[in-house]
Amino acid sequence: MTSRFWTQGGDSDSDEEEEKQSEFGDGSDAGGGAGEPAGDGNRYLHENASDSDDSDGQHRVIKSARDKRFDEMAATVEQMKNAMKINDWVSLQENFEKLNKQLEKVVRITESDKVPNLYIKALVLLEDFLAEALANKDAKKKMSSSNAKALNSMKQKLKKNNKQYEELITKYREKPESEDEGVEDEEEEEGNESGSEVEEDPSKIDMSDMEDEDVEDGDEQTEGDGAWEKKMSRKDKLMDKQFMKDPSEITWDVVDKKFKEIIAARGRKGTGRVEQVEQLTFLTRVAKTPAQKLEILFSVISAQFDVNPSLLGHMPINVWKKCVGNLLLVLDILEKYPNIVVDDTIEPEERETEKGVNHKGTIRVWGSLVAFLERLDSEFFKSLQCIDPHTRDYVERLRDEPLFFVVAQNVQDYLEKAGDFKAASKVALRRVELVYYKPQEVYAAMRKLAEQDEVSDGGSEGDGVGEYQAVEEHRGPPAFVVIPELVPRRPTFPESSRTLLDSLVSLIYKYGDERTKARSMLCDVYNHAIFDEFYVARDLLLMSHLQEGIQLMDISSQILFNRAMAQLGLCAFRAGLITEAHGCLSELYTGGRVKELLAQGFSQSRYHEKTPEQEKLERRRQMPYHMHINLELLEATHLICAMLLEVPNMASNTHDSKRKVISKTFRRLLDGSERQTFVGPPENVRDHVMAATRALNKGDYQKAFNVIKSLDIWKLLRNRDAVLDMLNTKIKEEALRTYLFAYSSCYKSLSLDRVTALFDLSDVHAHSIISKMMITEELHASWDQPTQCIVFHEVEQTRLQGLLFQMADKLGILAEINEKAFEVRTGGGLDGLPPRRRGEGQEFGGSVVSGRWQENFLSASQGRSRAGYLSSRSGQVAGGFPKERAGAGQRGGASGYSSSRYQDAYGSTGGRTPYQSGSSARGSQIDGAGRMVSLNKAGRIY
Amino acid sequence: MAEHDLTSRIAPHLDRHLVFPLLEFLQERQLYADEEILKAKIDLLSKTNMVDYAMDIHKSLYHTEEVPQEMMDRRAEVVGRLKSLEESAAPLISFLQNAANVQESRPDKLYNLQMLNDRFQIGQEQIEALYQYAKFQFECGNYSGAADYLYHYRDLCTNSDRSLSALWGKLAAEILMQNWAIALEELNRLKEIIDSKNFASPLYQLQNRIWLMHWSLFIFFNHENGRNGIIDLFFQDRYLNAIQTNANHLLRYVATAVIVSKRRWNMIKELIKVIQQENHVFKDPITEFLECLYINYDFEGAQQKLQECEHVILNDPFLGKRVEDANFSTVPLKDEFLENARLFIFETYCRIHQCIDIGMLAEKLNMNYDEAENWIMNLVQNAKLEAKIDSVSGTVIMETSNVNVYEQLIETMKNLNTRTYLLAKSLVDQTPQSAR
Repeated sequence: MTSRFWTQGGDSDSDEEEEKQSEFGDGSDAGGGAGEPAGDGNRYLHENASDSDDSDGQHRVIKSARDKRFDEMAATVEQMKNAMKINDWVSLQENFEKLNKQLEKVVRITESDKVPNLYIKALVLLEDFLAEALANKDAKKKMSSSNAKALNSMKQKLKKNNKQYEELITKYREKPESEDEGVEDEEEEEGNESGSEVEEDPSKIDMSDMEDEDVEDGDEQTEGDGAWEKKMSRKDKLMDKQFMKDPSEITWDVVDKKFKEIIAARGRKGTGRVEQVEQLTFLTRVAKTPAQKLEILFSVISAQFDVNPSLLGHMPINVWKKCVGNLLLVLDILEKYPNIVVDDTIEPEERETEKGVNHKGTIRVWGSLVAFLERLDSEFFKSLQCIDPHTRDYVERLRDEPLFFVVAQNVQDYLEKAGDFKAASKVALRRVELVYYKPQEVYAAMRKLAEQDEVSDGGSEGDGVGEYQAVEEHRGPPAFVVIPELVPRRPTFPESSRTLLDSLVSLIYKYGDERTKARSMLCDVYNHAIFDEFYVARDLLLMSHLQEGIQLMDISSQILFNRAMAQLGLCAFRAGLITEAHGCLSELYTGGRVKELLAQGFSQSRYHEKTPEQEKLERRRQMPYHMHINLELLEATHLICAMLLEVPNMASNTHDSKRKVISKTFRRLLDGSERQTFVGPPENVRDHVMAATRALNKGDYQKAFNVIKSLDIWKLLRNRDAVLDMLNTKIKEEALRTYLFAYSSCYKSLSLDRVTALFDLSDVHAHSIISKMMITEELHASWDQPTQCIVFHEVEQTRLQGLLFQMADKLGILAEINEKAFEVRTGGGLDGLPPRRRGEGQEFGGSVVSGRWQENFLSASQGRSRAGYLSSRSGQVAGGFPKERAGAGQRGGASGYSSSRYQDAYGSTGGRTPYQSGSSARGSQIDGAGRMVSLNKAGRIY
Repeated sequence: MAEHDLTSRIAPHLDRHLVFPLLEFLQERQLYADEEILKAKIDLLSKTNMVDYAMDIHKSLYHTEEVPQEMMDRRAEVVGRLKSLEESAAPLISFLQNAANVQESRPDKLYNLQMLNDRFQIGQEQIEALYQYAKFQFECGNYSGAADYLYHYRDLCTNSDRSLSALWGKLAAEILMQNWAIALEELNRLKEIIDSKNFASPLYQLQNRIWLMHWSLFIFFNHENGRNGIIDLFFQDRYLNAIQTNANHLLRYVATAVIVSKRRWNMIKELIKVIQQENHVFKDPITEFLECLYINYDFEGAQQKLQECEHVILNDPFLGKRVEDANFSTVPLKDEFLENARLFIFETYCRIHQCIDIGMLAEKLNMNYDEAENWIMNLVQNAKLEAKIDSVSGTVIMETSNVNVYEQLIETMKNLNTRTYLLAKSLVDQTPQSAR
């Protein structure tokens, strides 16, 4: 109890506003805060609220100012009376002026035209006294000159002044007696309203208030006024008195009136939220028509949602369960009386719900099932966010999931029956979001749980609902409108979650709005990924075109997108699709904010502090623990993918490693670990992968694999052995590639047997890998078929040649920049440029896999190879050419070190262009495949 | 070998009548039991008006002379309907049969309509009747009549939707009559309409494209220039997309067409990309062959796949077309395919080898030693292969033609000059303009 009071008093914004509005905010808060039964303070408050007419919107501070004015005025009147006694007209005149000034102020403050009685009274007194003084001519003569002067001026002033208040004065004169009473009354009231200044005794005020109330109680006993609402015991008594004694006397009107009263109290300061729920629940039983019952039930549900006012906290679980029960009851009613229509767009007529069971036409009741359901879901979600996941409570809470599920299912069925498919799709989305992240095992467990409950519970409901109804039964009379349980109380789950999702998702795709569709699509992708259907998930994602528009969507959907991507990455990894997995995951890891992106915790940023608001918002977005994607697994997957791609890549561009970076994150980590002086045994995921990288760099595939294998996250995978096997093969492959890149320059030839022995790969496999490298011109070598060995070609250039290539590249870039500058200036492109250059421009333009560019490239390279072929022929004929070639070779041998540095430059012009890095690895493979040496050049069109 | 049969996947995208040739082919190849095919045929025919044919099949299927009553009823109904349609279309048909009348009509559609209306009292109803009549003729199997009527109908028709379906009907009729040249014309016309027309939904447009591609298979594998045609059509972005979304089995035909037409080998790269993207949905020996060769460089695998390919081609209604040549039936496409595929393998093989054993090569290419040596010799002689045969050791030695460094340099720098020149020129052109 106390805690509730504290929350009421302390944290919510709406409360503050109420505080301002209430007149004695401080006092009541103190009372509430002290944990007293809300009775006294509230009653007091309520009293004031109900009978003060002009106090709305006034601050307590202002009121004290008003009090002061009244006080001053009264004092002035006293002074005037004194002055009259001694016949001192000078001071009387002064006081009169003062009084007028004060009047102005008072009027300004009270913001009413009504002149205080106090003032009128003073005027009457003055007038009488003046008349008396004027009549007494002797006395006048005796007066001092100043006094006489004052008397005269007073006479004129008063005459002038009193004209304004003539009416009031005559009224006062006519019946001074009654007016006197009124004045007193008012004075007392003013005293009540305006605080303690006049009487300066708060206890007295309290007393008077109590008395007042007692009187009122007496008056209103028959009606059971709002003043009673807060006192539970008495109220119940009253209710019983009112409703129990004679059920036949209770009419729709009585119930409706009571209902309206309770509703009106909603949201008022001091209205007990729990009590209100109970009152309303009581009312549902005495409702006269189904429609009325429905109407009241809706209010019960909203009142239940109101029980927890804070955005961060969640609704008490028992209330939540009751709420579920109520919603089911609502559905029962709707099921039984199909002519009742729930609508939240049209304002229903005043007495719509009076129409009884036998009414034929449709009865409209205001309310929105979808809104309630969504609220219910978010409360469930919030409760899971708040409960510590390591406690038993959390597990218990999770068991309530079927409970929600059944409501959702029923609401959806109802909406579909009613033809409101748009709303049904919203409900369907909620259901999808409850199921999509569950692997088959978890889903089966939930299904089993739901079935088990059914068996054990037998007739009675699940714990929450059952309790609720039991509670209801033993209190009070049986309900007037008895609604049998019509809608099923158990969820029905299809065998596999896939079938369930498919049916829901297809409904959503058909009727949902954009956001609903997008979200369900993402859920679908996620689910497919969990079920290891990478291609289906990928195609779905690509077809949805969500990647392009996701930045524009709300944050929660963005998080869902991130999570779907993460899951897709894991799925690709399990399927052995390293490149794809890396593509999915790398983006998540670029900013180092994975936790935030997946809404699975917070990451502290060194550079900027979050404001409390941001933190609060973020906390509200967090995923409940059971939905988390294992971050270690995710990180390991990402880093291993990066390692498998990056290690051979680094080995292939040893001299110019900056040029083509696949994973920046990985490079950074590697740099960091290389800078360490001493390398300890690996502790976390990162260390493990770094250790594996070091081993892989040396071609030690076994060690690399063992280090990776020793990670204990692998036990999280369902098909652990298959994944590890896959990983082992991949590591071997990449080790082989790395080895060949790194040491090919040291070999003249290398036999396949040796390679297979070194890397424990099958002949065919190794052959395939090496062939691929040859075709893509990563490796300058060819097979010698009879002896089964690789023969490496000398492709090294002289230093001069290397420099020349560099210069050629730079010139190309220069020309490029010139053209671009020109285009920017003129806005138009250059026409008639050679086709090749055009093609490059396209490639620069976008990362779209560039079929056309590659085509152009293809023709160019063919042209080149033919040119080479021709020239070598002509060289033979001329005779001079080969000699020069040999010379070049010698030079190359002499300056072996320096020339090898430019090997890469050669590579770039020979086949791999820097532009190519934009296209995917797959693209480049195919590119290589397509760049065939043509046997039938004669027939080729260039 | 029935597992690679695509008939069941293709048939839904075809007209009923177009499925018959496929079934005929299957019957001939005896991939399925005769009864099954006959039943399928009756099933097909039940929705058409070719009742007599259905009766014949029924008789041969159940070896009886009796025909079920519903077939007889259907026959009577069809004949009756034919009569009534004939009547309603009669005025227009008689007009069309009169050559003198036809000559009077002009290219202007509106004028024709006007003229018909004024002089012959032939209005919209009769024209509509002509369409119905043509459709009915088609259903009855009278393709030439249908094609003729539809041709005239298209001249008179004002409704674009109707005109489209008339075009489809005409295409089907021409295909069934095996007028490939005319069919190709119709196909192109249809394609233009599909591509240009603003369809109500993209989905419908996609469906139309897929139909078009399926129907075109008949034409492309029979028309002499069909292979280029199929590549041109199927490699258009929109059609490639359509294949990938809804009809990935068509990849077999694209792949075959590309392999068979040497001049289009440059398409292979794009093809491989598509095949790789779709290989989780569709694969058959032909696509797998390409995959082995160009993705995995698994020559043994490619070899095996090639053997499977042979069966696939023989059993495919479109690919396995037979040519009877003096009591000797051949499948020209199969031979072509094998020859080219061999070349593919060899070419790739040579690219990564510097020395190959001829014996092994012969084995790989399904030839004997002498044949292989001969074959290679031919290649070398025709300057298709830079290699020498080392007869003593029985090997082919590739001449690795390392690209000359200078050539490369020249190539890189080649168009710098032109570029700079162009740039300067356009700069000069610009300046006076801006000065003015």
